[in-house]
Amino acid sequence: MILRILQNLFRFLILVFIQVFILNQIVLPGDLNAYINPNIYVLFLLMLPIQINRLLLLFICFLCGLSIDIFMSTAGLHASACLFIGLVRPGLINLVISRESNDNNIELSMSGMGIQSFLIYASVLIVVHHFALMLLEAFNFLHFLNLLLRVVTASLSTIILITLSQLLIIRNR
Amino acid sequence: MRNFFQLIRRYNFLLVFLLLQGLSFFLLSRNNGYQRASIVGASNQVTGEMYVAYSNVTDYLTLGETNRLLSEENARLRKNDSLAFYSSLADSTHVNDTLAVQQYDYISARVINNSVKNVNNYLTLDKGSLNGVQPEMAVIGSNGVVGIVKDVSEHFCTVISLLHRSTKISSKVASSEYFGSTIWDGSSPEYAHLFDIPSHAKVSLGDSIVTSTYSGIFPRGILIGTVSGLGESGESFKEIEVRLSTNFRTLSYVYIVRNLFKAERDSLEAKTAELPE
Repeated sequence: MILRILQNLFRFLILVFIQVFILNQIVLPGDLNAYINPNIYVLFLLMLPIQINRLLLLFICFLCGLSIDIFMSTAGLHASACLFIGLVRPGLINLVISRESNDNNIELSMSGMGIQSFLIYASVLIVVHHFALMLLEAFNFLHFLNLLLRVVTASLSTIILITLSQLLIIRNR
Repeated sequence: MRNFFQLIRRYNFLLVFLLLQGLSFFLLSRNNGYQRASIVGASNQVTGEMYVAYSNVTDYLTLGETNRLLSEENARLRKNDSLAFYSSLADSTHVNDTLAVQQYDYISARVINNSVKNVNNYLTLDKGSLNGVQPEMAVIGSNGVVGIVKDVSEHFCTVISLLHRSTKISSKVASSEYFGSTIWDGSSPEYAHLFDIPSHAKVSLGDSIVTSTYSGIFPRGILIGTVSGLGESGESFKEIEVRLSTNFRTLSYVYIVRNLFKAERDSLEAKTAELPE
């Protein structure tokens, strides 16, 4: 149990570090940065243990988003978007993890769930997160098509990064 | 009453979600004004230290560019220095100038955190209240306008970048006296738009756009950018695309401008506004 908490805490610190000091510092030419804007820190929320209390999950989501907000001076923006992950996640897990594997100790990762299930699970949550994030950031429907395009490209970049990191972990085992 | 508690128990998940969501929105709305919620303000000190450590490492990467900009600026300043002018009067006497009173004071600061990729961008600088920085001071770089100071802690301050949707800089076309506001639309960090210039004003491509004195924050005549596109918005106003002179991607040293007359001007204008019509 303690090992599991430490493991998640460690993952959280590493991912926030990567997000704030590497990904957020990358500057791309033109306005590409508005389109390719990966938020790898959501991997922490995706990989929280499956049997976690739903209320605890909400609080962790809020705090995780808030810690990113503090670094980016966007108080409340990421916190709000992360809360949507906390809202959707429990129901989505029931949908994605099929009845046959009633194992309650399955790890929510590519190696634990299988590639296909993990990709569906991660993509849905990431798209929900990015959509909430960008809609809240823009706070209007003026350039809605452009916003949708940005949601798709940013989500894709996040999914690709998360998939790569998962493949690396599998390779290491 | 029992039913009420049962209701809470049944929907506690949704209620907690809405509660936290409400808290996020509260923070978000507080963040849009000039005052930030105190939790985030307090932690500025912590994140500030971390960004300094990071910036100590990465500053080396932009050292070449920074040196070039600083030496260019030095050259420009040297050109305006009184030593650069040849005096034709052989026996000139030194006049202690009491006519020109210093209005602006410049504080040099290092950019320790910066973003260009969000719709609302902020910078963090390594100067704070101990160095005399106060909210709503202007921030300029060696190439022009950068932003306006928002929050100040003891050693750091955060700056609302020009690349922020709520930034509105009172500006004018350098060649004429027409004035308008420069606003960033949230897409490319290289361009902004100038609004409220009447359509009969003569503006051509390449004209300089500079700050006007109306804001009371920026000194007069600080370069914002050059005209790179012209269009009409509505019947009576031009919409002008401005290519920003500051390269926000490579910003590493800036100046915080302290207007020594600001308090005097503000209290005078407040007094005038108070008067009944």
